[in-house]
Amino acid sequence: MTTILDRRRQAPSPRRGPGVVHRLVSTDHKNIGILYCVSAFAFFLVGGSLAEVMRLELMEPSRQIVSNEAYNTLFTIHGTVMIFLFVAPFATGLANYLIPLQVGAPDMAFPRLNLSSFYFYIGGGILVLLAGVAAAGQAAAMGWTAYPPLSEMRLSPGVGPDLWILGLVLVVISNVLNGVNILTTVFLMRAPGMTMWRLPVFTWNMVVVAILGLVAFPPAAAGLTLLLIGRRLGGLVYDAAAGGDPTIYQHLFWFLGHPEVYILILPFFGVITEIIPVFSRKPLFGYTGFLLATLTIGMLSTGVWAHHMFTTGVIVNPFFAAMTLLIAVPTGVKFFNWIGSMWGGKIWFAVPMLFSIGFMLNFLIGGVTGVMLASPALDYQAHDTYFVVAHFHYTMLGGSVFGIFAAIYFWFPKMTGVMLSEKLGRVVFAMLFVGFNLTFWPQFVLGQRGMPRRYVDYASGLGYDTPNLVSSVGAYLLGVAVMVFLVDVWRSLRRRTPAGDDPWGGYSLEWATSSPPPEHNFDELPKIRSLRPAFDRQHPELTP
Amino acid sequence: MRVVTRYLVLLFLFASIAGTVYWFVTYEAIGTILLLGFACTPAIIVVYAIRHGSMSERRPDDDAEADPATEAGEVLGPFPAETVWPIFLVLGTIVTGASLIYGLILAPVGAALLIWAVLGFTRESRG
Repeated sequence: MTTILDRRRQAPSPRRGPGVVHRLVSTDHKNIGILYCVSAFAFFLVGGSLAEVMRLELMEPSRQIVSNEAYNTLFTIHGTVMIFLFVAPFATGLANYLIPLQVGAPDMAFPRLNLSSFYFYIGGGILVLLAGVAAAGQAAAMGWTAYPPLSEMRLSPGVGPDLWILGLVLVVISNVLNGVNILTTVFLMRAPGMTMWRLPVFTWNMVVVAILGLVAFPPAAAGLTLLLIGRRLGGLVYDAAAGGDPTIYQHLFWFLGHPEVYILILPFFGVITEIIPVFSRKPLFGYTGFLLATLTIGMLSTGVWAHHMFTTGVIVNPFFAAMTLLIAVPTGVKFFNWIGSMWGGKIWFAVPMLFSIGFMLNFLIGGVTGVMLASPALDYQAHDTYFVVAHFHYTMLGGSVFGIFAAIYFWFPKMTGVMLSEKLGRVVFAMLFVGFNLTFWPQFVLGQRGMPRRYVDYASGLGYDTPNLVSSVGAYLLGVAVMVFLVDVWRSLRRRTPAGDDPWGGYSLEWATSSPPPEHNFDELPKIRSLRPAFDRQHPELTP
Repeated sequence: MRVVTRYLVLLFLFASIAGTVYWFVTYEAIGTILLLGFACTPAIIVVYAIRHGSMSERRPDDDAEADPATEAGEVLGPFPAETVWPIFLVLGTIVTGASLIYGLILAPVGAALLIWAVLGFTRESRG
């Protein structure tokens, strides 16, 4: 850490001021973090709009507004955008902004690599969107998993799938570079006294996410590259007729695909674990247990990939069923941490806390249905039905996205120096919570009644009509909630109600500097003697 | 041994055991290779750290009683607060990749952009 701090202090580089151009080329981790978050949210608006079109189509039986092909493209790009261009990059943005502040460093270890990683992500994102708007019959429409033979040239012709593959490879490069940067920063740039067992839980969770990324993304890049070679250069690795094996792709893809679920959720486990103790006015209950649970989830998540392949018949189902059931145990431990932290506390139901509680409730349902799907016997019935869609959205939208909103309401004052509106925030929370459950609970019912996913249409009278109608109404409520949130951000940035350095009475080191922080983060670094250095500084009489 | 090295050794052990168990339970090659590849990732860092002795020293960030004032480091010179080269690096990568889709005629353009970006990065590093 010292090296970079010293050289920055002794030889500061000239700045051109906070204009748009400076923002686009600045290597300051806080700037890059905000770029990530804003871009990811823009991708969320795109992905969400595609979902709204799908829900409009499915609101009633019979086809109304999109063709079969267009519908396939809609769910392909929606899934890719939400997973690879929204949730994961938003977590990366938070990590970029917060990790140096939380560990007491002046910047990330490799600032230019950091900016490069952002542009790889943007480049990849643009290619993925282009893949969706390629000329008719050429757009990517093979689903976000792109299994061969469906993704081979004869069944998915045109440039769309190729652009999609290239875009994802760029996103993979971005994630690998980020992983290297996060690990180096945390391992080598912590402030004196910030031992590994004093790291804030968000940073710890991002360490595990970075390791998972380094392990899981390269095989997916290999799988995607082999797919591109098969499409463009005649490669035969996945061609069963030529002695290849299409399930190789499934292994490579899901070796990323399932850890990716934890790459998407672990950062937000970290977020709400930062928030809950602060708003319960208590220290975190069971810090060590929480970290061991995170490490266990990280390790076990590398051994569950083929539970997505139960129905292929080429894997040993009991092995993956057992590993998947096992991972529920450390996840359950976290619920004890959260409940224990709230228990007996003076709970302050501010907006970040509301979103954290919403996260817990939604994720619990997503997690329990995940345990159900870990049983191969049940999975054979539910595979490719709306039950899986509902389960997945309860973990990702009900979990990660509620975590994202919790993070925004919690750290927006730190990032901008101004408060978001409590009143509008409560409205956004209520609409999102109700809208989310209206949208996705009926999809459990649809799945239980056998409605397959990825179908543009359904026959009337099969019990699908009412749940689809309710689901679509919920989806529009979600859309309105997001618009209200954007109004809240816009109003807050215009009105500029000052937040102060520490509006919540936060615990970790970022609350011990100004809002927004100065260029090198800390004018003076406080002594770090516990898990709560900012709290210790505010309350020296309570410091052991 | 530094704290971090111990975590990496733990990861190596977990992935090695998982890969071995997976092989004997399933006799499936792809997953075994992936898990053993996972084992190699931390192992590479650990071997490097041990060979260079960089993980054996006790550092202020591992010392629970260390003071911020204990910190002192080597001055390496300035580094840029702004850079445009990542944009060209990504453009070069996209154009090179697109040559597989739109024709190899694009490959030299992509390669030129990549080389230009790398040279730009290097020149910038030297101040």
